[in-house]
Amino acid sequence: MKLNLLAASTPMLRVSVAALAFAMPAVAYGQAAQPASSDPTAAGKAVFAKANCVGCHKWHGNGGGGYGGDALSLRKTALTREQIIETVGCGRPGTGMPFFTRGAYDEIKCYGMNRQDAGAQMPPEGGTFLRQKDIEAVADYVLAHIKGAGEPTYAQCVDFFSSGSRVCDIYKPKEEKPDTTASMGKSQ
Amino acid sequence: MKRFSGQTIRSSRAHLLATAFAAGSLLAAVPVSAADEVSQERLLNVQNEPGNWLHHHQNYSAHRFSPLKEINRDNVKNLKVAWTMHLGGVEGGGIWSHGGLEGTPIAENGFLYVTDGWGSVYKIDAHGGRGVLVWKMDPKTDHDWAGAVACCGVDNRGVALWGNLVISHTLDGRLIATDKETGQVKWQRNVADPDKGEVITGAPLIVKNMAITGVAGAEYGIRGWIAATDLSTQKEVWRTYTIPGKGEPGSETWKDNNNAAAAGGGSTWVTGTYDPATDTIIWGVGNPGPDWDNAYRPGDNLYTDSSLALDATTGKIKWHYQHTPNDPYDYDSVAENVLVDLPGPNGPRKLALEADRNGFAYAIDRTNGKFVWGLPFVKKVTWTKGLDAETGKPVEYDPNKAVQTYVASVTPSRTNMETDICPGNMGGKNWPPTAYNPELKLWYIPVIESCNRIKVEVATPDKLKPREFWTGGGPSQPFKITGSVTAIDVTTGKIASKLETPFPNLGGMLATSDLVFTGQPSGEVTAHDAKSLQKLWEFNTGGGVNAPPMTFTVDGKQYVAILVGLGGAWDKWFIDSTPELKKIQPGSMLYVFAL
Ligand code: HEC
Repeated sequence: MKLNLLAASTPMLRVSVAALAFAMPAVAYGQAAQPASSDPTAAGKAVFAKANCVGCHKWHGNGGGGYGGDALSLRKTALTREQIIETVGCGRPGTGMPFFTRGAYDEIKCYGMNRQDAGAQMPPEGGTFLRQKDIEAVADYVLAHIKGAGEPTYAQCVDFFSSGSRVCDIYKPKEEKPDTTASMGKSQ
Repeated sequence: MKRFSGQTIRSSRAHLLATAFAAGSLLAAVPVSAADEVSQERLLNVQNEPGNWLHHHQNYSAHRFSPLKEINRDNVKNLKVAWTMHLGGVEGGGIWSHGGLEGTPIAENGFLYVTDGWGSVYKIDAHGGRGVLVWKMDPKTDHDWAGAVACCGVDNRGVALWGNLVISHTLDGRLIATDKETGQVKWQRNVADPDKGEVITGAPLIVKNMAITGVAGAEYGIRGWIAATDLSTQKEVWRTYTIPGKGEPGSETWKDNNNAAAAGGGSTWVTGTYDPATDTIIWGVGNPGPDWDNAYRPGDNLYTDSSLALDATTGKIKWHYQHTPNDPYDYDSVAENVLVDLPGPNGPRKLALEADRNGFAYAIDRTNGKFVWGLPFVKKVTWTKGLDAETGKPVEYDPNKAVQTYVASVTPSRTNMETDICPGNMGGKNWPPTAYNPELKLWYIPVIESCNRIKVEVATPDKLKPREFWTGGGPSQPFKITGSVTAIDVTTGKIASKLETPFPNLGGMLATSDLVFTGQPSGEVTAHDAKSLQKLWEFNTGGGVNAPPMTFTVDGKQYVAILVGLGGAWDKWFIDSTPELKKIQPGSMLYVFAL
C-alpha cells in the first residue's frame, strides 16, 4: 500500500529534494531538517496541494475569512483522524467544505444521507476526486504537520513550498528579510 | 511568415539572448521606425489615428468609443471569426486553481499587444487577415507569493505603449518596460509589495513620460496608493496614499483607537483617466478594510469609496468625492471616471461619470468635485432609500454619526451579523469598463444585478496579520445573480434603455457610432443597436467572456477583438449565484472578428 503511493509520487519527491538543496538555510530552524523524501506524510502534502485544500485553508491550514466565508482552521481543529477522513470524503453539509469522494451522496451515503436527503444542505463537489488512500494520506499530513501546530513558521513554510518563491519571506525572523529596495531600478 | 524560424538570427545574437530576461523572446523582423514611437502628442490625439487603440480605455477620457464604421448596424449580422490565438497563463498559484483573461488589447499599426493573467505580454502581428505571434515576454511572476494575496483572481488588464517600449505590470508588484521590437525586458521596478498584501492587476496609465500604477489589496490590510514612475529615469516621481497619514487633511475621518487607517484599504486597481486641460488625473478608490465591520473604523474613512482628482505633476489631491462614507458593504469606487463635456448655457459642462459598486451612477463636476446628478442603474437597491438631491450622499448619511447604519435593517453591523444586501458585494458594476458614445451622449454600463448575504465577524487588532484576509466577515451566495446593460442619457441623467441578460456582465463595453459590443460569462460575444440595445449579432466563443471588446483596423480593414477565459473573482467566490457557469472551463484565447 505505502509502496504504491511512494512509487506514484516519485517524480514529485525528486523535485522537492532538489529544491530543498537550495533552501538549505531552512535547516537551521530545525523542523525542516528532515528531507521530504523520508517524511511518510509527503504524499499527503502533495494531496493537500493537488486537491486545492490550500485554495481555502491556505498552505498553513489556518484558513480564515475573506471572500470565501470561513474555511475553519485545521491548526485549531479538534477532529480525530477518522473525523478528518469523513469530512474530506463527504464534505460538510450546509458549508463550503467540499466532498472529495467520487460517488459521495450517490452510491456512497454520507452521514446517512444521499443527495436527495441532503437537499439544499448538499456540500459542493471538490475540484478533484480523491481515492480513499489519498484521503487517508492527507488526513495523516494534517495530523502530523497542521493540527496543533500553533502559528505558522518560516521553517514550515519553506518545508511546504520547497521552491524559490518569496512566499515565505514574511515568516523570516526580521534580520533575515531581504532589502526589497535593493531590487528596484534597472535589472540589467 | 516564418518569424519563428529565425535560428540564424538567434545564434548570431546569442550574447544578447543570453542576457534576455524573458525566455521565449523572439526577434521581430520589422525595423524600428520613428512613426511607431508613442509620444504624449499621439496619446493626446488618438482621434487622428482611429484604426489604432492606444489607451487601455481607448482615450484619456475612457470613452471606449471607436469612430470606425465599416462594421455597422446594417452589416454586423455578417460578422465572423477572422482568426483566433491560444494564449497561456491558465495555470494556478497561491489560492487560485487557474488564471483568467481580463485584459483590453492595445492595437498599433497592425500589431496587437495583449496580456494573460500572470502578466506575460504577447505581441501579435495582425496583418494579412491572420494573427502571428511576434514575441512573448514572460515576466516569470512569482505565482505563490502573488497568488496567495490576490483577493480576486490571477488577473492582468493589459499594457500601455510609450516610446519604443511596452509598459506592463505583474501581479507580484513589478512595472516592466519591454522593447517593442525585440520583446526583451529593458528594465523593471518593484512598485507594489506582496509581502504587505499588495498586488497589481490594472493596466498602467501613461501621462507625460510617467507610468501611473494602482494597487490592489484592501482585503489584506493594505494602505492604498497611486504611484507615478518616470519612464526615463525609472524613479518614482510621486506616490499619493489614498488614506491620509496622521495629521494630514482627512485623517480626522478615522476616529478609532486601533490605528485602523494604517491598514484601511483604499485600493486603486482600475486604471484611471486624465484631463489634459487641467493636468488632472482622476482615479477611483476602493473599499475600506475590514470590509464588513465598519464599527472597527468609525468616521467617514477618507478617501475610501471616493473619486480622487490628483495634480498629474505632483500627485497632490485637488478634490475628492466620496460615495459611501464609512462603507459596511465592500462598495468600492475603483471604477474608471469617464470624462464628458456637455454643452451648457455658460460654456461646456465638464463631468466625470462613475458607475459605483453601490448601485448608483454619478456625474460629478470635474472642475471642483461637486455632485451634479446620480441615479440607481441596477434594478434593486436596498441599502439606502436614495441619494440626497443636493449632495448626492445617501439620504440616511449622518455626518454626526461615527458609524453609519444607512437602512439599518439590511446593513451589516455588529448588531446585524447576518444580512442580505442589494447590490451584493461584487457591486452593481465591478471593474468591467463602461463605454460612452459622444455622438448619442449615451453611457453604457455593464451591470451585475445582484444581492448577496453578508456575515459579519468582529475585527480585533490581533486578527490583522500580513498577507492574511482582513475583511471582518464574508459573503455567501444564496441568490441567483443576473445582469444587464444599462444605457444612461448623460444630458438628462436618466436611463435611456436597459437590456437584461441571463448572466452578470463580467466583461465590459465597446461603443461605435451605431453599435455597442459586449459579452457574457456563458460565452457569447454580442453586438447591439446603440439606441435600443436590441441584439443584432451573437457568437458563442465556448469560453467565458471576462474581458472587454475593442476594435481596430489593419490593412484598411476593421476588426473586433476580445480575450476569452473566465477567471477573476467570479468562478471562485461567486459561482454559486450562477450555477450554470460551473460548466465553463478555464481557457485563454484571443478572438478576432471581421466582416
Ligand atoms: C472550497 C473551499 C474548501 C476546500 C477546497 C477545502 N475545504 Fe476544508 N473546509 C472548508 C470550509 C468552509 C470548512 C468549514 C466548515 C464549517 O464551517 O464547519 C472546512 C472544514 C474542514 C475541516 C473540518 C475542520 C474542523 O475542525 O471542523 C477539515 C478537516 C477540512 N476542511 C479539511 C480539508 C482538506 C484536507 C481539504 C483538501 C482535500 C479541504 N478541506 C478543502 C472549505 C474548504
